[in-house]
Amino acid sequence: MAEPLYLRPRLDGRAASLLAEPGLLHSLVDALESPLNVVLPEQAAANADAFQEVFTRHRLKGRVLFAHKASASSALLRRLAATAAGVDAASLGELRHALGCGFAPERITATGPKSLRFLWLAARTGAAVAVDSADELDMLARLLRAHGLPRCRTLLRLSGFSAPGVRVRSRLSRFGIPVAALDDVLARAAGYRDVLDLVGVSYHLDTTSLTEKATAFEGCLQALGACRDHGLAPDVVDIGGGFGISYLAHREEWDAYTSELAAAALGARPALTWGGHGYGLRNDKGTLRGSLALYPSWRPAAGGHYLDELLSAPSSSALGGRPLASLALEHLYDVHAEPGRALLDQCGLTLATVQEVRRPPDGGADLWVRLAAKADDIALEEHGVLLDPVLLPRPGSTGTSTDSGSGGPVAVHLFGHLCLETDLITRRLVHLPRAPRPGDLLVFANTAAYCMDFHSSRSQRHPAARKIAAWRSGGSWTWCLDDAYWPLSTEGDPQ
Amino acid sequence: MRYDRITDAIGNTPLVRIDPAVHGLRHIDLFAKLEMLNPFGSVKDRAAWNMARAGLPGAEADGSQIVELSSGNTAKALAVIAGMHGLTFKSVTNRMRIPETKELLLLLGAEIEELPGQSECLDPTDTEDPLTLFHQALADSETPLLHTDQYFNPRNSAAHFEGTGPEIVADLDGRAPDYFIACVGTAGSSTGVAGALRAHRPDVEVVGLVAAKSDFIPGIRTRDEVHEVGLFDPDTYDTLATVDSGQAIEGMVTLIRRCGLLAGPTGGAAYHGALRHLREADARLAEQRDDGPPAERRTAVFIVCDRVEGYLSYIRQRRPDLLGDTARTPNTLAGLSDADVAAAPAVTVDEARTWIEGADPLIVDLRSTYAYNALHLAGSVNITDEILGELLRAGLPFARSRPVLLACPVGEQSARYAALLTRMGHPDARSLTGGIVAWRDAGAPLTRD
Repeated sequence: MAEPLYLRPRLDGRAASLLAEPGLLHSLVDALESPLNVVLPEQAAANADAFQEVFTRHRLKGRVLFAHKASASSALLRRLAATAAGVDAASLGELRHALGCGFAPERITATGPKSLRFLWLAARTGAAVAVDSADELDMLARLLRAHGLPRCRTLLRLSGFSAPGVRVRSRLSRFGIPVAALDDVLARAAGYRDVLDLVGVSYHLDTTSLTEKATAFEGCLQALGACRDHGLAPDVVDIGGGFGISYLAHREEWDAYTSELAAAALGARPALTWGGHGYGLRNDKGTLRGSLALYPSWRPAAGGHYLDELLSAPSSSALGGRPLASLALEHLYDVHAEPGRALLDQCGLTLATVQEVRRPPDGGADLWVRLAAKADDIALEEHGVLLDPVLLPRPGSTGTSTDSGSGGPVAVHLFGHLCLETDLITRRLVHLPRAPRPGDLLVFANTAAYCMDFHSSRSQRHPAARKIAAWRSGGSWTWCLDDAYWPLSTEGDPQ
Repeated sequence: MRYDRITDAIGNTPLVRIDPAVHGLRHIDLFAKLEMLNPFGSVKDRAAWNMARAGLPGAEADGSQIVELSSGNTAKALAVIAGMHGLTFKSVTNRMRIPETKELLLLLGAEIEELPGQSECLDPTDTEDPLTLFHQALADSETPLLHTDQYFNPRNSAAHFEGTGPEIVADLDGRAPDYFIACVGTAGSSTGVAGALRAHRPDVEVVGLVAAKSDFIPGIRTRDEVHEVGLFDPDTYDTLATVDSGQAIEGMVTLIRRCGLLAGPTGGAAYHGALRHLREADARLAEQRDDGPPAERRTAVFIVCDRVEGYLSYIRQRRPDLLGDTARTPNTLAGLSDADVAAAPAVTVDEARTWIEGADPLIVDLRSTYAYNALHLAGSVNITDEILGELLRAGLPFARSRPVLLACPVGEQSARYAALLTRMGHPDARSLTGGIVAWRDAGAPLTRD
């Protein structure tokens, strides 16, 4: 075959070290079944520290709040509860889970679409509430007065920011209070002062664009100024999340792959996907149309680096052009960030057993590989994230597969085990360094955020993946079921 | 030269020979086509005028708005043309990465609309790209629009087929050059010029230059992005080569400092790409000359698209050294050591409160005016750190007889300036330790008067 188009995942310290234990991983899957999710709580704690470090560098009193929705894992949440991080709960269930995992209410912000019960529990326990609309503000105030609840720390989630001179055609958002309507909402908030303690404003934009976020950040600084005109004195800017993960180890592989994908869409090379799927690209009389509906799997600045760039971004000339972090600092404001995906970078792996390897009926060179897992167990495709699994041969296996003869790189299609044509682990033709055999493991890297349990189903009575937490202890790896994990050793020391 | 309208001055740009002492080619004469001398500043004036002109009478009749997807020079030219004809212009873009361009466009009266960035929580089933949204918006618009459509409009390349190309041939005494090198943006100028030159002599070697995939050179598309351009036809180019932003800036500096051509990065990229390609050809010509009868001299032409002035922030970001540190005067923070700063006179919040009561120091708040206006120490004056830095270059702006208390957010900047004032001979300049954050945390009063 031609030069293999690898998309090799970035594997840092802990994840790489665990992958160096194929015997352990095979025996875990043998015992707990395929697919199996592994989370790495220590990595989550290290990531939270790294984010905090960015704030410290900018001299800001910042707070990192984990966006719970990225993962259902108890182990990750309990480990984060043992750090200085807070948590952003977006449902009644997430709030209960956060409280039960050890987050005191002072460290919890309730966000997202809210039911009365969710609001009640947040207010009753003393969590902060990020209010999404004027109506929700009224609903919260009514609830607080009706039940005689303690004064509720409240943030206003804002949207619809604009930069001077430029109209940004931002994606329509279902969330947030348009800044144009801020004055009215602040007047209402001032009227609720007896029950509401307005502590800050927030935004959460669904975009990878730094300039859009910088505009919103600046809009929030101006909104905090407007609060003072209503006699309110909030001092928190919550800049949401969306700092991203760089999934791939090498930029060159991403550049080469996406170029070839464009060439395939134009018909200039054989298809790279099942059924010639274009991932959003299409050929219009020789001109490439559409746009790549893929997560940018290699990113020059993700996670803490992205936050650093955002904090360093210059404000507009109306605010003097100083970096946003300096402006926040000068105003004595605290900055909160709510990373979900980025906080779980390198915090999890999904393991799946190879069930069958065969040649396609048309005699093509690509192998068809079926895994003991469904696409929704490894929902990379659901998020447009492309990366190669790591092949872990079964130790001591000498069996020959249909086509392991050459021993060199092969191109494979990865199918799930649902009885459904569309159950493709990825639509992509994946290049592996050698042909897998039944019984081998494929390890999907960096699945902790959104990929391992966000979409998982029990379709066709296939089990949902079990989840375990793993950590290094005294030079070797140890593990327990996710729900049995607490951040302390059997002797009670921190682990 | 007398014209009735500025648009009549578009085109007929000079073809200037690059001094062989600069490029070092021995058998090839290299010429620059100075498109930067068009009245609105770039090669795009020709295409913009040619595309807009056909629709202008109709647009004027029903008050259309001119619309284009452009992040730079095309927008600039169209904004001026629209204004001259009493029309408005809207530029839609997600590529406007040069702040000066944005501000210049606003000055020219353009309306700017930015397309959203890529979603972070991607919905892979949503394959509607921003361009599709743009075209839907065009179709749904209630005001009549004149969409010049530069990436697909044949009048773009026609402007060069009929103008730029024939001008080059005329200036070379009726002969097309052996080599033509151009950066590929909309592909309009390269396609049009190449067509005109090949009509004269089919064997003109055409080199198209694109940017490296993850790089950014204003006005040039990357190797992948060219496929999104309707005017782009790979067969136009004998060679498609890559330049990076570092090479573009290097080339630009040579054009500016050695040739007196105030070219922007795109012109620099064309010069660099031209030279890289021609050096090989020149070496082959030298071999022929050694082996046999003397080879004929060859000619090559590249395009200088626009001028440098609009790209200062781009250059500052990539090559701050070119914008040089201004000559150091002794009275700057740069001359201070860590020990100087550590030894700067300072007062804690408690000490400061007593001191303010007793000695009435001049309180200087170094924060930005916006922050100062929100909350500050009573009676303080606001001199932002940059402005104080400027003032100090010239000398002490405070009487030595009055003590000075410097305050900044956390006490870092104020310590530096206290050290500098002390070195400059102020007898009692102190820094507020921990800054205004510590002041607030101690519960000391802040006012908004």
